[in-house]
Amino acid sequence: MFRSLFAKECSQTVRSLIYWLTVIILSLFFFSQLGDINITGKPVKGQESYGVKYSDDEQTIMENTLGRLAEEYYRETYSTYPIGFHKSVKPDEEENRRIGEILEETAGIKDMKVIEGLMAEHYNTGGMIMTGLAVPPARGLSYEHFQKLMQEVDDILGGGSSYGKDMLKSNAMVEMTYEDAMEEYDTLVEKDRLTGGYARLFCDYMSVMLSILPVFLAVTRCLRDRRAKMQELIAVRKASSAAIIISRYLAMVVMLMIPVLVLSCFPLAESIRYASEAGISIDYLAFVKYSFGWLLPSIMTAAAVGLVLTVLTDTALGVLVQGIWWFISIFSSMSGMSGGMYGWNFVPRHNTVGNYSGFHDNFAQLAANRTLYAVISIVLVTVTVWIYAKKRRGKMDVHGKIFANRKNKSKA
Amino acid sequence: MNTEIKIRHLNQFYGKKQALKDVNLTIGKGMFGLLGRNGAGKTTLMKVLATLLPKSQGKISICGTPVENAARIRSMTGYLPQEFSMYPNMTVYEAMDYLGVLSGLSREERNSRIPGLLRKVNLLDDRKKKVKALSGGMKRRLGIAQAILHNPMVLIVDEPTAGLDPEERVRFRNLLCEIAEERIVILSTHIVGDIEATCEQIAVLNEGEILYHGSVAELTAMAEGKVYSAEISRTELSELKKKYIVTSMLTLGNNVMVRFLADRAPFSSAHRVEAGVEDAYMYLMRGERGEE
Repeated sequence: MFRSLFAKECSQTVRSLIYWLTVIILSLFFFSQLGDINITGKPVKGQESYGVKYSDDEQTIMENTLGRLAEEYYRETYSTYPIGFHKSVKPDEEENRRIGEILEETAGIKDMKVIEGLMAEHYNTGGMIMTGLAVPPARGLSYEHFQKLMQEVDDILGGGSSYGKDMLKSNAMVEMTYEDAMEEYDTLVEKDRLTGGYARLFCDYMSVMLSILPVFLAVTRCLRDRRAKMQELIAVRKASSAAIIISRYLAMVVMLMIPVLVLSCFPLAESIRYASEAGISIDYLAFVKYSFGWLLPSIMTAAAVGLVLTVLTDTALGVLVQGIWWFISIFSSMSGMSGGMYGWNFVPRHNTVGNYSGFHDNFAQLAANRTLYAVISIVLVTVTVWIYAKKRRGKMDVHGKIFANRKNKSKA
Repeated sequence: MNTEIKIRHLNQFYGKKQALKDVNLTIGKGMFGLLGRNGAGKTTLMKVLATLLPKSQGKISICGTPVENAARIRSMTGYLPQEFSMYPNMTVYEAMDYLGVLSGLSREERNSRIPGLLRKVNLLDDRKKKVKALSGGMKRRLGIAQAILHNPMVLIVDEPTAGLDPEERVRFRNLLCEIAEERIVILSTHIVGDIEATCEQIAVLNEGEILYHGSVAELTAMAEGKVYSAEISRTELSELKKKYIVTSMLTLGNNVMVRFLADRAPFSSAHRVEAGVEDAYMYLMRGERGEE
């Protein structure tokens, strides 16, 4: 019975408008972000630029962070991203005075004119400026004390600034040398076998969409029963609640993985083209492995949230809940865009082909992250089966209660 | 094999409101009518039998299986809900096939049963039509077909003729009678004509209580000698309505031919007539309202 039911659910999914809207949005997003992917190949000595990278060097981090602080102190306006959106913070006189003291303690700068001079020197070169202002730290300043004082600045600004502990490294953007670029290329070709790096970039972009889109599919699938007045008709059937719910869920997940795998063929084709030109070997299954390991848990979780809340409430509440979760996850993961800082974020980022070491060193965390969400989704589906079984027998009428309350309130 | 539905001391509550009060019924093979006003508790009883509502108190067994065994009950009952509908974009055949899968039928069973059932309900030629394109009557017939798709021992049909035109209604009743030859069919309705035309055994529900349980003939006999007919002027009609329950009337120019309930002839022109089920039902309900 289950196989037939699963096949029927797949067919229902394919014939739903929302599924094709999902596929179109996913495709548009893919082609707008990754559609013109062009593997440029080996760096050539004497190139105008080899790109930029985040530095791990504490001295560089301190210099760049203090340069940024000096600039913002000079302008008396600080950029922060407390919930992801940009916010300009203008501290009051007392707060600005304290920031000035910190700048003096960390960089030895007392006078605005010094900052003005440094900025003029840095920006008025006439050439391309790839990095921000850098100010050397005061002699004897330890990195730990620097971190402590920067955290104080972040607290004064209300959080989300470039001075929080997790954000300090993102200030240390430095230009790559030919050697850096060669090292990155060699790592990409040897350790990542080219496709590994591109598969991570593919997953980074796709996970942004796949952490929200499946909820629409799940909610509309479940609400379709209510709209079509099919709930009772299905409830009195012999099929078990587990068979009904799991077949629906699996159909959604499988049907969403299909466009993901199809889209992954584009960067794979480009990788194959480049590999044949450069005479290197690639991992042909990298996109499949990454898609299942990275993206499948996102699809599973977003669909499970939609499923459980729709079955429980018979409303589109799942869209709201998943939307809020997605929003928070996207913006809280912005500090780790370049990969390696996966944590437990629902949308782990790795928005670069490079940073293999960031991926490799934090692979266990990423694996734990993805496993956690896969487990959460299985738990949610199990809860959905339990709720559905109750509702089939006329229990847990949450929708009825919500609307009865609304009616009572409107009467009052 | 046990082919009876036994309901003993069934009480059903919605919060503090009691929807069914000490209901006791035994329902055997054939058509069984459940008659009552809107809100009498018919749908509640049907839903309890179809495992859509958990019973609050009492015992129910369907063909020997306690109603608590929902999985088993579901495999032996078919249900046509009051508000019947299906996914509008599915064709008639697809809808049947989908519900067949949910009923646990194999592909072979579905392929062999569905065309026959659609022929039975006169929808075979419309099998490729989308559900949203069906008329009300066609939908109801499709509803019956889906309800007996898995060949259930019991068919529960809730207000099936509401909104149907007279021709469809007659066709639908005949269809139910055919189906009832080999199984228990419980028909819930507030339309007395449906019961009169199809059921041998009936129960009348009023405010959650069984007012009557027995044969249609016995119910009719209760009103025998209490039904009168008279031709009166229109001006006399309102006075008559105040004193007696009028079960039907027919306007004849300035006069009205009325049929009403009375213990004895109230005036000389009134003559006793044979009681019908509708008269008997009204007589029963009059007693319940405490009227004379």
